[in-house]
Amino acid sequence: MASTVKFEDLKIGDEIPAKSKVVRREEVKAYADASGDQNPLHQDDTFARSVGFPGIIAHGMFTMAHLTSALTDWLGDPAALKGIKVQFRAVVFMDETIVAKGRIRALDEATRRATLDVWVEVDRAGERQLPIKNSTAEVELA
Amino acid sequence: MPLNRSLKGKEYQEVTFEVTRPEVVAFAEAIGEGNPIYRDAEAAKTAGYPEQVAPPTFITRIQIMTSGQVVLDQELGLDYTRVVHGEQQYDWRRPLLVGDTVSATPRLADIYARGPNEFLVIEADIKDRSGETVIVARSTLLSRGTAGA
Repeated sequence: MASTVKFEDLKIGDEIPAKSKVVRREEVKAYADASGDQNPLHQDDTFARSVGFPGIIAHGMFTMAHLTSALTDWLGDPAALKGIKVQFRAVVFMDETIVAKGRIRALDEATRRATLDVWVEVDRAGERQLPIKNSTAEVELA
Repeated sequence: MPLNRSLKGKEYQEVTFEVTRPEVVAFAEAIGEGNPIYRDAEAAKTAGYPEQVAPPTFITRIQIMTSGQVVLDQELGLDYTRVVHGEQQYDWRRPLLVGDTVSATPRLADIYARGPNEFLVIEADIKDRSGETVIVARSTLLSRGTAGA
């Protein structure tokens, strides 16, 4: 029940392994049921078009859950993830690939904690969108 | 129409929620989380936990209930179709486990306008049965175009 990443092995600017996945409609539906967020914006294309989108979008929290997985995969233990603060800045459409990334911003020797800049990228028609940006995570290292 | 700013600071009803095995498994599957500690109690015990672990953002389930009270508050005057999730913060004190029962009393911590939009900040301390805080959650919802003149 502790991180497998050692504090001494990190330096500012290091990146964690990126984690990618393709967002599928079935998963977003499963997420609506599993989280209890049944907003039609995430399930009903007709509704999504009525509020100005070309089709349904993923829940912000769906994308945040993927980012959290990238962090805990790297840490080796969810107990090592102490905090996260994200801003949702772009939507994610079905069948797009979300890529979660993180980079060490600060290291505190006294607490053996690190602060990371974290974000999620989507490539849309050759342009990089950032569904999650200006965001940070706090982790406790071995 | 602008939101009812006088509700700033309002506390809503306490919500209680039990972390159950099938719900944790369904959540792990929905987010594509492959770590076996979220799927199986034995794997979690091998990793040093007393029980099957809930993924960190499983807490979103109780948060949907708590923020739902605010969003649906008739006195607030919020049009749900204009709501976008702007920011989310979680501070974890420990992972949630299957069998935990947690409670939260949501508070409408702030309402403010920036440009054409209004923002609602909802905070909740999520506590376990012993009264210990397990997770602190803070959500910012954005009400598009309602700041008005």
